[in-house]
Amino acid sequence: MNKVFLLFNDENAKNRINSLLLEKDDIELMSAYGEIEDILTQLHHFCADVILIENGYENCEFVIRQIKSNSKNQNTQIILLLNKHEECSFMNLADGFIEYPLNNEILISTLQSHFKIKKSLDRLYENNKELSRSLYQLNVLYNTSSQFTGTLNTSRLYDIMIEAMEKTLSFDISSVLILNSDGKPQFNLNTIHTPSENLVNALKIRSVLNFRNELKKGILPVFDFNNIEIKQNIKQTRSNRVYGIETISYDSLFAPIKIGDEFFGVVELFRQNPFLAEDVTCFQAITHQVALPLRSAKLYEEISKTNKKLEKLEKLKSEFVSIVSHELRTPLTPINNSLEIVLSEQAGAISDEAKNFISMAKRNIQRLSGIIEDLLDLSRIQTGKLDFKYKICDITPSLELLQKTFLQVANEKNINIKLDIKEKLPEIYADIRRIEQIFSNLVSNALKFTPNDGEINVVADIVDSSEINKDDLVSLTSPLSGKYIRISVCDNGIGIKKEDIPKIFDKFSQIESSLKRNNGGVGLGLTITKQLIDSHLGAIEVLSQETCGSTFIVYLPLIDDIKVFEMDLSSALVSFDEVGILKLSYDKKLDLVDGLKENKLLNITKISKELTIDKDDIRNYFLFVPKISYASFEALCCTIEEYINKIKQNECDIMLSKMHSTKDGSDVLKIMENLTKD
Amino acid sequence: MKKILIVDDEKDIVETLSFMLKAKGFECICAYDGEEGLSLAKSASPDLVILDVMMPKINGYKICRLLKFDNKYKDIPIIMITARSQDEDKIIGEETGANEYITKPFEFSEVLEKINKYLA
Repeated sequence: MNKVFLLFNDENAKNRINSLLLEKDDIELMSAYGEIEDILTQLHHFCADVILIENGYENCEFVIRQIKSNSKNQNTQIILLLNKHEECSFMNLADGFIEYPLNNEILISTLQSHFKIKKSLDRLYENNKELSRSLYQLNVLYNTSSQFTGTLNTSRLYDIMIEAMEKTLSFDISSVLILNSDGKPQFNLNTIHTPSENLVNALKIRSVLNFRNELKKGILPVFDFNNIEIKQNIKQTRSNRVYGIETISYDSLFAPIKIGDEFFGVVELFRQNPFLAEDVTCFQAITHQVALPLRSAKLYEEISKTNKKLEKLEKLKSEFVSIVSHELRTPLTPINNSLEIVLSEQAGAISDEAKNFISMAKRNIQRLSGIIEDLLDLSRIQTGKLDFKYKICDITPSLELLQKTFLQVANEKNINIKLDIKEKLPEIYADIRRIEQIFSNLVSNALKFTPNDGEINVVADIVDSSEINKDDLVSLTSPLSGKYIRISVCDNGIGIKKEDIPKIFDKFSQIESSLKRNNGGVGLGLTITKQLIDSHLGAIEVLSQETCGSTFIVYLPLIDDIKVFEMDLSSALVSFDEVGILKLSYDKKLDLVDGLKENKLLNITKISKELTIDKDDIRNYFLFVPKISYASFEALCCTIEEYINKIKQNECDIMLSKMHSTKDGSDVLKIMENLTKD
Repeated sequence: MKKILIVDDEKDIVETLSFMLKAKGFECICAYDGEEGLSLAKSASPDLVILDVMMPKINGYKICRLLKFDNKYKDIPIIMITARSQDEDKIIGEETGANEYITKPFEFSEVLEKINKYLA
């Protein structure tokens, strides 16, 4: 039905048109009457498709302008009736005109064509409206999806989901039933107005039934209906309106939140205005989108829990080893002392044979305390408690000391320990006690596995990293560059089977074989040695042939050549877990160098995702890695304040800093923790 | 005769140590917990104290601090016995102020060497 509204002064013309148009079945007619305000109200209510208006009509221009400015009538076609050859100043305001005298055919055909125009405009208008709605929904969906990827917090994910639905679907009520991270059921109700108690219960029952239907058929929900935690969120708490039980008959949308076989919960929306097809698509898109991050969040939670448990266990284990070792030492002391008293004959004379046996007992006590010391070192390394006191030092005296230390044992087996320092060794940056430990482990091993009358050679010289055969190095933890001191400990003992070489650095590797061969030790020496070398940014190489002896070659970096600056942080992280220590050096170009003459390396005991850095072990320097996903990093020189700014502006990924008087590392850590939370 | 105070809750360690020290011509007085050790250190005016770290009532660190920060006793040399070789810094450092430390299990010659540094 097409609606035509007539605004005429000329009664004759009006009657004529009236009678002409009344014959048409598809036209509904209405004529204006009354004052101008009444007419405008009539126009507004009638929603005419076409308005026929006489030019001579009272306030004609004003009426036309009013019609056109009303959004409800903006597509209404206005046809002006003019006298022949009449000019009219507001002709362009109208959509068309007809001249007197009226011709029935022209009138009808003009009307018909304007009906069509009106219809097309209406359709266009509707399409436009839909399009902008879809565009809005699409925008929200897009934003939501990026929000989804930004969090691994389950309840936050549900919040984002509801927010997105609120924006795009403007629901009256949303009811969500999920299992929270503890596996307990949680019913979230978001409403605009306050819902009645009956409605809340009805929605709860409905959600539980939906939940049950979505689970495999016949399986009841794993929770008690009365034990569901209810979280209500009412938008307009001040309004008097209450959603009664009848609200449940509103148009509704329902979807399970699931991905593959994994089911998280159900969501249902209610709205007074019916949902459109696009709404359904949008709704499904959102529920679909949330499922994937929910799964990641669930996995993340599981992994975090397991990780914490493992960390605790590992710590417990190391602490246990540490306590036991300490406890073992105390009883060893009086045993050792008593033997010494007896041996010194201060408690009475003893036979030579007795002396022999007492000496044997004493030797074994020394061995036992050596093993305990190794166990302690290992547990310290694993808990990151091993102390390093790095200084610039000369290792030559330490090497010379080796001969003296092992002189007695070597003499007993008639083994000659030769030391050959081929050129003057420059000073290196190291913990000299640990360096001594490395070589005393290697030499004592060599002594153990070399038969009587053998020979041990310790040779030291300087090599360039290019001369080092990297394939022979044992699991390198830091890249090699520049010059190195090379110290090889070479024996002509029993050697190592080729297939055993990779295993000798494993914990307790000797245990298996020590059942067959009595060589002493529990096989921790090499494990510790390797980790000490790693801590010094060095490397170790093993060359051996069974029955022909073994050579252990240690490479320690020279100070001037420590300039490893690009470093694969991901692999460095792996080595943290194992060694507990990361060593970093710096580029010469940086100003840092000046202050670093004494402290070329820095230790970080641990960098985990949560960014925990053990302050005590860093001592003088801090290194901060806010984002560990970077494969390599650069550093720049700045104060802590500048650094904090850089972090805030996301300009800086890593920091190397001296302890600061005004703000120290823990302050920065706090600031950064807050930043990462956001 | 030089007087040495040995404080350790491990009776066996005290006994063996005092036996050896007596044989070397020192006079030994013994205490078996921290409280006793502290009061003897103050009352018996020893020439040197050998002090265990881990003890009931008052631990060795505290006794050492109490003596070293008291003008009356700060000149008495203190050798601490520990089961952890890593404690060196803590013992010798400013915090405790001990003169020497030895790690369990120790050789008697090692103890004697350290004592002679102060009492020779």
